[in-house]
Amino acid sequence: MKDVRLIIVGFGKIGRGVAETILQKRQIMEEIGLNLKVVAVCEMKGCAVDPNGVDLKGLLEGKVRWGARKTLDVIREQDADVVVELTPGNIETGEPGLSHIKEALQVGKNVVTSNKSPLVVAYKELMELAKKNGVTLRFEATVGGAIPLINTFERELKANKARNIYGILNGTTNFILSKMIEEGVDFKSALKEAQDLGYAETNPDYDVKGIDTAAKVVILANSMLGMNIKLKDVKVEGIERITPEAVELAKQYGFVIKLVGDVAGREVSPRLIPEDHPLNVGGSLNAVQVETDIAGNITLIGRGAGPKETSSAILSDIIAVAEKN
Amino acid sequence: MQIEILLGLKDVPGMLVKALEPISRGGGNIVTVYHSRGSGEVVDVNVVFKVKDQKTLEGVLDSLKGDGIQVKSVKAEGHRYYSKRSISFILIGHVIDQDIQDTIDRINKLGLVRGVDVNMSDPTRESAVMMYVDVDEDKAQDLMKAITQISAKKNFMLIREVTS
Repeated sequence: MKDVRLIIVGFGKIGRGVAETILQKRQIMEEIGLNLKVVAVCEMKGCAVDPNGVDLKGLLEGKVRWGARKTLDVIREQDADVVVELTPGNIETGEPGLSHIKEALQVGKNVVTSNKSPLVVAYKELMELAKKNGVTLRFEATVGGAIPLINTFERELKANKARNIYGILNGTTNFILSKMIEEGVDFKSALKEAQDLGYAETNPDYDVKGIDTAAKVVILANSMLGMNIKLKDVKVEGIERITPEAVELAKQYGFVIKLVGDVAGREVSPRLIPEDHPLNVGGSLNAVQVETDIAGNITLIGRGAGPKETSSAILSDIIAVAEKN
Repeated sequence: MQIEILLGLKDVPGMLVKALEPISRGGGNIVTVYHSRGSGEVVDVNVVFKVKDQKTLEGVLDSLKGDGIQVKSVKAEGHRYYSKRSISFILIGHVIDQDIQDTIDRINKLGLVRGVDVNMSDPTRESAVMMYVDVDEDKAQDLMKAITQISAKKNFMLIREVTS
């Protein structure tokens, strides 16, 4: 049995989801020979540290006291194999995640993250830093939630070259457009319903203006297509202007309108997708189609968000790191 | 396979022979020629011929193009043959008010607008217009660029096909 010592940074919805999944999947992890031991959990209010394993159950129930140590100090000083960075990020600066990840890589700790912002801001810099320090930075959870996209391509399609990637990468906008397609309602009503059901934030701009999808396009372009682009290099148009008339017209001609990330095209925009096309997924689902030179088109469909779904990708990355070392 | 093409020929002596020559030169075996004299300067000529495969057909079409013969339509075994690409897109905006004829004319400089379908529930609101355009494969990119420019200038939201 191999101990994999983790520092979890960020204990919001995602962080708690990951903690719950670690507890729940303990047996399966043991079966593959891994003992995931969380040696520290850091939050804005402080850090809970225990080299013998933090009491995750107690922490989830609010029974463990948060110590006063600072996150960056814990990342630097606490013995651990992987820093799991799960904070929400600022898309312009990448902070606070960017500092967390840099610190971890610099002191020779592997990083697994669900946080898009640091990668959008400094992909190349971070990958170089990881390489220089002989550690890995994995980020499956940043794009497509539970969908095993980056890892599938990296491991199972190794001989292939990806030519382009098209993706429905934002569950909120897909939910809204699916409502408009199925029920003929206008954008505002569909958004209202998405907000009532908790699919959309009170301030939905980040999703409906296409910024979230653009951030994912940047990550996929840099990681899977070997490009080196930033958010400003992506042309972005959101879904706010789509009318019921346009949705209906598209339908008459056998199309649906979906917000598509066109990675090689460096573009996020509503597009016409033939109804029988594999990217036509309903509800809040995500879908990604990779055009490869040998395998042809590969399409993956799954849940793009949620604490549990994200945990699946995080655990996959943790296992990959453990197996490598 | 049996091919039926519609040629638009200038009404001048020797034109028909000039148009048929590339077909036989390219490997087509002519079956019938139907010549309908209209009132304009262009005469429609319907030619039915046989080719052994699609590659031969492409060769014939290339020779016709190279000789400056206008090919209006091509049918292979009774079905429309797409040597051209068909592009569909939706425009959202005040598409009619913003001189829709001008929009169509500009697109027609690069391709052929085959259809326009308007969905307008209220004249004061933005309408949605579906257009489908036939364009030569090599001009498709220029066409998309032109449509993007027109949309930016006239403040339309352009929704194009996923792989265009």
